[in-house]
Amino acid sequence: MFCDTLGEVNIMRITNNMLINNMIKYIGNNLTRMDKLQAQLATGKKIQVPSDDPVVAARALKLRTDVAEIQQYQRNLKDARSWLEITETTLSDIGDIFQRVRELIVGSDSIESPEDLQATKNELIQLRTQLINLGNTAYAGRYIFTGFKTDQKLLDENGNFLVEVYNSEQISYQIGLADSINVNVLGGDLFNAGTDAAAGSAGKFIQDMNELIDAFDTADYSKISSMAQNFSDNLDTVLRVRADVGARINRLELTMNRMLNDITNFTRLMSENEDVDMTETIMNLKNEENVYRASLAGGARIIMPSLVDFLR
Amino acid sequence: MSGSFFGLNVAVRGLFAAQRNLDIVNHNLNNINTPGYSRQQAIQVASRPLALTDGTGMLGTGSEVIGVQRMRDEYLDFKFWSENLSYGEWSVKKEILSDLEVLFNEPSNSGFTAIMSNFFDSLQELAKDPSSAAVRSLVRQNAVTLTRFFNNLATSLEEMQYDINYRIQTKVEEINSLAVQIQQLNRQIYITELSGNAANDMRDQRTVLVDKLSKLINIEAYEVVVGYTPDGKEDKHFVITVSGKALVDHFTVSTLALEQRDADHKVNREDIPGLYEIRWADGNKLTVKGGELRGLLDLRDGNEGSVNPDNGLVSPNYKGIPYYIKKLNEFVRVFARAFNEGYIDLDGDKAFDADEFGTGHASGYGYNSSQTGIRFFTMTGEGRQPMSTSEFLKNASGLEGIYDAYEKITAKNFSVSADILNDYNLIAVSDGLGEAGNINVLNALLALRRNTDMFSEGAPEDFMKSIVTIMGVDSQQAGNYSANQKTVVDQIVNRRLSYSGVSIDEEITNLVRFQHAYNAAAKMIQTISEIYETLINKLFV
Repeated sequence: MFCDTLGEVNIMRITNNMLINNMIKYIGNNLTRMDKLQAQLATGKKIQVPSDDPVVAARALKLRTDVAEIQQYQRNLKDARSWLEITETTLSDIGDIFQRVRELIVGSDSIESPEDLQATKNELIQLRTQLINLGNTAYAGRYIFTGFKTDQKLLDENGNFLVEVYNSEQISYQIGLADSINVNVLGGDLFNAGTDAAAGSAGKFIQDMNELIDAFDTADYSKISSMAQNFSDNLDTVLRVRADVGARINRLELTMNRMLNDITNFTRLMSENEDVDMTETIMNLKNEENVYRASLAGGARIIMPSLVDFLR
Repeated sequence: MSGSFFGLNVAVRGLFAAQRNLDIVNHNLNNINTPGYSRQQAIQVASRPLALTDGTGMLGTGSEVIGVQRMRDEYLDFKFWSENLSYGEWSVKKEILSDLEVLFNEPSNSGFTAIMSNFFDSLQELAKDPSSAAVRSLVRQNAVTLTRFFNNLATSLEEMQYDINYRIQTKVEEINSLAVQIQQLNRQIYITELSGNAANDMRDQRTVLVDKLSKLINIEAYEVVVGYTPDGKEDKHFVITVSGKALVDHFTVSTLALEQRDADHKVNREDIPGLYEIRWADGNKLTVKGGELRGLLDLRDGNEGSVNPDNGLVSPNYKGIPYYIKKLNEFVRVFARAFNEGYIDLDGDKAFDADEFGTGHASGYGYNSSQTGIRFFTMTGEGRQPMSTSEFLKNASGLEGIYDAYEKITAKNFSVSADILNDYNLIAVSDGLGEAGNINVLNALLALRRNTDMFSEGAPEDFMKSIVTIMGVDSQQAGNYSANQKTVVDQIVNRRLSYSGVSIDEEITNLVRFQHAYNAAAKMIQTISEIYETLINKLFV
């Protein structure tokens, strides 16, 4: 009986299949690591599935939601600005009309002939029509001064309100997490000088226009000159509303700039969180490749010879 | 000298002993790659000496091989079985959880986050242009995509549950087959060893079978001494028990059986019908404590140890398929209640309370519509057709009835209501009749996205994020455990190979050694032969 003395001297007995098993295991491990690096390079992402790093995965989901929301807010901001810019142009046109009306009132003092008075009256009628058209301005098919009734015109051809517009009917666009902006100017606020619009009646703007036209028609000079104050007030109303719209556009632009910063920051965060550092990954892959080559070379040497090869 | 041919007899014994050793070397070399093979060694002793009558003492009579033993450290087998058990369980869990992760497809640009973002983005567009047919149609389409996401996910999860059930069936059949094979080997080994021979190779084969079994289910395998044989040796029986009951007891075997659970015995309400319950074939209850089977059961039935209110059955304390289905069902129910009714369960009593209502879809008006009470999300009914609001709330009486109607919604049947599908103008945005630009209701719906009171996990997207994170953490844990356990098992396999494996160098060395011994014995015969030549032919002619 021959003795198994190896155990006593405490050296592990190494058998051929141990070497082969270990070699297969080590090469398998090398390949697994290379595969992981390869996947990172191919996708550009640090993680492929949540279990690769649950923390990174959770943050990735959160940041995706944040970025998607900011992008939507950016679209809302652009649309809000377009709406407000249309409103501002309209307000500017209305202001021009009242300027012209005031000029006509002031110029009426020197008009003597009834024909000339009629000519001015006709111009006023044209201005009134223009005012009515401006009151029915639409943005993308929606009337901008009718509050919530965006599908209906504000004024009929005589300038009477077609719908009731309450000053509470403010349309807001969401432009931030807890931030929204009122985009519309209410028909009553503008055409009825700050009060609600009642369907069927004429607002202050149109009433004043009608009275003035009547005064010109009847050549009532004292009435005409007394109307000057009214139109001065109307112009103030337009300017007040216009200043408000201008302030809102300013706020939009500030928010837009901030959003631009936000989107840059969040995109950067997202990239830092989940994108791979290409240089580092390629270096690591190269390193793994060297290890792999070394273990292949070592393995090839280790499984090759046995004592059989040396007994001749 | 005791006998004339004594020397020849001794030399012949030497020849035989060397030859036997060479046979064993031959056997070892042939079995170098046989799974589970333990190298064998001859038990060689000096044969019984002769007492010389003239007082000179004992005379050696050469050597003989009295047995063949296998080199096996049985402690390593026990160790292997217990570690392999845990490896089996975690490797199965890792594999299935990886599949689950792929199913949820996060983080990506096409998973839940993206679908939810698209839905809310289209609602934002609607807020800016509530009367636009194009935007309304977009909202409807994105809502359908959202519901389909849940339908598909739930269906895939059910398919996974079905597949795992099938794998359980296969594993049980494998266990039974292994048990029968072990029982047959028991018989052969016992009969062989009764006659005093060690059944080395059959014992190796049996250990291989037990190795396989140890990965499948929790077993204890040992030999018990039950008495003594007539010739005074210990009478050993080989026994394998599972949770205390014998699977194999010497020559007998108890198999496992599968029984389909009926509708009253579902472990979870979410389970698909006809899942297998594993029992002993004799009807006794079986507790599976480990191995691949435990892993499969945990993932098929696991629902955090929750109790099924219908029958009091307790699910395994693991987050398996039913857990994820349950979470998805919870999501669609709570989300649908909040979206349709504006209801958030602030106090968690699972009932409608007056102060828990905000503005929901049902309280709003659509475009050019005087209808209110339209529910945006319902479920599919008969023939998998989406239900309208009236069908959905048909038998619902009072607030309680409405609350309960939502309990019938599952991720699988979640749907956009037939009302909305038929007419997108019914998508409610306004709280005033005939006010096309009024988006007060829509603003309330948009605010739901950030409503952190909706779920205990937070807002809707936080809820799904939490599901994905839980899955990621569990999968990572299973992966780590499985890898660690693999290292431990590999280490034991190495130690086994170190002790029991065949080394070519060693065997070749022995080959040369025994060849030399054989040659030496042959030389002895030649020498003795020459002695007789001298004695017989040369001296007395």
